[in-house]
Amino acid sequence: MEATLTRPALSCCCRTIPSSSSTSRLLVRPSVAPGLRQQSTKSRTKRALNIPKHESFLNPRPTTNHIVFNPPSSEASVYHTPFKFLPKTDPRRRAQLSNLFGSSTTIQYSTPGASAEPAVNPDELPAVFPPELGTKKYHMTKEDVEEMRRLRLEDPNKHTVTSLSKQFGCTPWFVMMCVRSPREHRDKHKAAEAAVKARWGPKRTAAREERARRWAMLFRGEL
Amino acid sequence: MKRLRVDRWTGQLVTATRPGAAGVSSSAPRFRCVAASARRCQSTAAAAAVSESVAAAADLVDNNPRFPPLENLPPQVTSWPSPPPERALQSAKLAALHARLALSKKIPLQTLARTLVDASADPNPRFNNTNLAFVGQTLINYHVSEQLMIQYPRLPMEIFYAAMKGMAGPAPLFQIAKSWGIESAAVPGGEVDPGLLQFSLDATGDAILGFGYSRAEQKYIDKYKFRRSVASRVVFDDDFGDAITKTEFASNETEDDDHIHTNTSYGSATTRALAEKAHANHVRAVVGAIYTHCGREAVKAFVKAHVLSRKLDLHKLFVFSDPTRELSTLCAREDFEKPIARLLSETGRLSRTPVFVVGIFSGKDKLGEGSAASLDHARRKAAMNALKSWYLYSPGENVRVPSDMLNEETRPWEPAYIDIGEVIARGGNLRR
Repeated sequence: MEATLTRPALSCCCRTIPSSSSTSRLLVRPSVAPGLRQQSTKSRTKRALNIPKHESFLNPRPTTNHIVFNPPSSEASVYHTPFKFLPKTDPRRRAQLSNLFGSSTTIQYSTPGASAEPAVNPDELPAVFPPELGTKKYHMTKEDVEEMRRLRLEDPNKHTVTSLSKQFGCTPWFVMMCVRSPREHRDKHKAAEAAVKARWGPKRTAAREERARRWAMLFRGEL
Repeated sequence: MKRLRVDRWTGQLVTATRPGAAGVSSSAPRFRCVAASARRCQSTAAAAAVSESVAAAADLVDNNPRFPPLENLPPQVTSWPSPPPERALQSAKLAALHARLALSKKIPLQTLARTLVDASADPNPRFNNTNLAFVGQTLINYHVSEQLMIQYPRLPMEIFYAAMKGMAGPAPLFQIAKSWGIESAAVPGGEVDPGLLQFSLDATGDAILGFGYSRAEQKYIDKYKFRRSVASRVVFDDDFGDAITKTEFASNETEDDDHIHTNTSYGSATTRALAEKAHANHVRAVVGAIYTHCGREAVKAFVKAHVLSRKLDLHKLFVFSDPTRELSTLCAREDFEKPIARLLSETGRLSRTPVFVVGIFSGKDKLGEGSAASLDHARRKAAMNALKSWYLYSPGENVRVPSDMLNEETRPWEPAYIDIGEVIARGGNLRR
């Protein structure tokens, strides 16, 4: 991915449009000059990061009786239901119908003098994984599956999961769902894996354990 | 360095005024005499074990006209398992508790005293709080479950059980009792102040609290750790999704005495569980007493003020095993576009501590957002946040619940939102 284009400091120092939401502040801007990567010295970095305050903070004594709503950038609350998840009967759905074609989860607020930022088109954002990766084709027939089972059970060393998935154009998961290799083949693989793990030193073992623990923590929402 | 004589600090005040101990010169018998002359006998067995000479000294002390007993106890009081109801009127603790909870005048102190007697202290259901606790448990669980059901209609059943346990289970009720200032007696007995919570660590009362069935195959479930499906938990188990066991601590009886002694030692897990259960039953009994004496509306207001007002972070109860699959299943079920993870922003990709902010989009709509140090973590986190915001949908803060309609002068009922059900079976998370 283009790390050069997605520096938040860069987007901060180059921006001309006042930000209106916590997430869109750090967005990729196609208008940024591609050659400009960073500031070379500390003083230039400091100067570049010295961005003006939000408009709502500029007037210390507001003349009107209003609430300044300028939330810091933070994670969105999960209690804030996205527009798409609202049921048909919910009154908020009718109230937000005007925002239907905009970004639904961004908090819309407007301060006097601040121009509304145009909604981000999600199609322009880079996908984390290629979108066609998870596309299901539903092209496998019963004969295909039987053939796959036959090949895998016949010679599991030659017809590995990866080669079968390439041959039939399906995911490795699907191959593993359809057929399970013979027990002696599995035992052999397990023994080889255990031999590899036995050679690990304490650092690598601890690192693997910590990685597994991080995954568990992530799924519990503790990370 | 001068020796500290701890026994002289307060001991001489006691012995100087007690003629029964005047002839005793050494310090050891003096201490024994002080212990025996205390009004509070720990139990009837302990009182019987006191040697005769000390008992005679205690009798002298008891009949001293200069120091009359604080309360005229009936002679047989120490043989009773719980204080007699008429003593409730003399207890300052009970009156204070009644005032602190702002209970109605309709609730007599005798009933409040009865709520403090656990079934383990007094097995007689005419004197313990079992019946009141049963009523109170039913009412608390009803109000909490209807509130959760209406306010968060999409909660999965497993999370619902956990939320029920977090709001109305023994642990939060124990905290409520502690916040009321409930203190417990060391050992129950007829001579105990009726304002103290009384439960026994040795005998476990057999109080039936709630509906449920014990399974025929419970023995095998315990032995092989079978997974209980959510559907069977709905049918068989209690309001918190816990299996009903016939006698919770029955295994202790078969084991040797030493084991029992270590189990019920101060601060052990068993002791804490018993104390938690007794405190929770007391809170339930108070709710049952309010219902019995004051009626439906009063008990609803009480439950709302003491139980429903507690905050529980529901989003922390969720555990996922495959959030991206669950989210794509959800989108397929609801006819949304396929969810796609897109990179919103990133920093330090080539550094040691990168940060990726990933949003999950379905069509033009962003469903969730997550940030983590790796792309895969961030994607799963975003999917988890999207799922949580689906499950934690709420029609509003002040939603009306069905029990509001029992009041006659309310406006007509509008149907509450009912979700069609869970996205995928979440039973796999139980094993974690």
